[in-house]
Amino acid sequence: MSDGGNPFGYEFMNFQRLLDIPMDISPYNYAATGTGLAIALSVVGAAWGIFITGASLLGGAVKEPRIRTKNLISVIFCEAVAIYGIILSIIFSGKLNIVAGNAFTNADWYSGFAIFNGGLTVGGCNLVCGICVGIVGAACALADAQKPELFVKILVVEIFGSALGLFGVIIGIVMTTQAKFG
Amino acid sequence: MATIHPKAGTGDICSFNIQHGFAEALIRGMRSSFLVDPDYHHLTQCETLDDVRLNLTETDYSEALEDYNSLTPNTLQKAAVEKLVTEFQYLRTQTVEPLSTFLDFITYEYMIENVMLLLKGALSGRDINELLEQCHPLGMFKESTMRSIPTFDNTSKGYSDLYQTVLVDTPVGPYFAQFLKESAAHRGSDSRNVLEEVEIEIIKSSLIKFWIEDFYNFAMSLGGDTAAIMGEILRVRADTNAINITLNSFGTPLNEPAMRISDRKRLYPAVGHLYPAGTTMLADVSDEEELGRVLELFPQYSAIWSIHSSGNGEKSIDDAFYERDVQMLELAFESQFHFAVFYAYVKLKEQEIRNLVWITECILQQQKDEIGKFVQVFSQHTPWRESKRR
Repeated sequence: MSDGGNPFGYEFMNFQRLLDIPMDISPYNYAATGTGLAIALSVVGAAWGIFITGASLLGGAVKEPRIRTKNLISVIFCEAVAIYGIILSIIFSGKLNIVAGNAFTNADWYSGFAIFNGGLTVGGCNLVCGICVGIVGAACALADAQKPELFVKILVVEIFGSALGLFGVIIGIVMTTQAKFG
Repeated sequence: MATIHPKAGTGDICSFNIQHGFAEALIRGMRSSFLVDPDYHHLTQCETLDDVRLNLTETDYSEALEDYNSLTPNTLQKAAVEKLVTEFQYLRTQTVEPLSTFLDFITYEYMIENVMLLLKGALSGRDINELLEQCHPLGMFKESTMRSIPTFDNTSKGYSDLYQTVLVDTPVGPYFAQFLKESAAHRGSDSRNVLEEVEIEIIKSSLIKFWIEDFYNFAMSLGGDTAAIMGEILRVRADTNAINITLNSFGTPLNEPAMRISDRKRLYPAVGHLYPAGTTMLADVSDEEELGRVLELFPQYSAIWSIHSSGNGEKSIDDAFYERDVQMLELAFESQFHFAVFYAYVKLKEQEIRNLVWITECILQQQKDEIGKFVQVFSQHTPWRESKRR
């Protein structure tokens, strides 16, 4: 019976072993989770943005039908966010191969971590980008219904918002250029 | 208190549109149906009511006026109110909780007005059908309920029966119950003898007071932008009521020292900038001078009061209140994802209907110099908008 030198008189939990956990998870798992996060969070962001802007677009079009076609651009910007997610997750899943032999090399561990965090980056950026474009798109539709000349001005704000998703894509690609299994 | 608690919050900018996005976008689309500066300009230039009708057919009112052959101030008001009611009911069917409760709160005010109209009409013995014609459409109960209201006697037992059989099921029932309870407690007798001595106006002021407090508590429990904007609007409304009650009580029995604390003070709503310190002071006021001195202490109202006290009939205090209200309600449209736009729309449409009736009355009575004395809604030339631009 080991006594950790603590007042309980028994070993409650070996906290040192917590530090071993990250390396106990296989790099395959990290890479696959990263791929999943890239697409999942991107789609959440895109869907969130589309329902925010879509509800306002529908309501505004009741009294002012001319805004319907022009303001679909906001929906397209939100959709673009989901497309970024698809592209990145296809790239990541292309890097995920079965490793020969029975041990992971350093390169494999590097790839696992890089793809996980790259996927998190891409997914997180696209999530907030989608919400941002959605809210601005809702305001754009309502403003356009009142005064047509406001549409282009608010669209500029939306374009800046959708650049955020692009940043995530760029960083995701940069992080994972050297990642390769096997 | 009869406060209904919301079953869900309004949601902030990220989640408001899930439940209420469509309804909010509808009301913002309806904002474009207000008459604009050129429309008002054309209307004030009209010589006859037919010219007015011609000009109105180019605005959003064209469909509303189709059913009416001749245009008089009364028919114009009726058509415009019907249009507002149709839009409101369409909106109401598109909403879910808690927005639907919010819209219902807006209608309770008209229900109180209708009930009071029917009671007053019954007192003077007017025909029930005529009274029903005059009721505001937004505040209608079931036909049978409305017909039964004037049938009750004008005695205390009659009112108590009225409450227990008819009003208790309506949304204004809780306000009536509170009124009966407070009056009974105040007079130390049971509720049956209460209403003999109380006039209809005091009943109405009390009911409106309870409604404002209830609405205020509901809006504040919604939180977020709705609580901030709607809370401010209702606070200002409560203060307007308090000041008007005080002003109108001069020269009536309500102004006697004995009655002031006991009765008049009870009519002041328990919300607002003037509550509690201001209303305590207002309860002691006996004439306009003292009222002015009390209002000097509150910067928002000293400006309005100075218009009334220094004004030589150019502008009445009601006009000053209307201007201030219209400014606040227009500002409610400036932010998105909150409920106050719905209340603002109804009130601003009401103001526009008042304006149209004023213009047509002036044209009918050939009083062209009075015709400019209305408060325009969403005008680009109001003083506060022009000063911002400079």
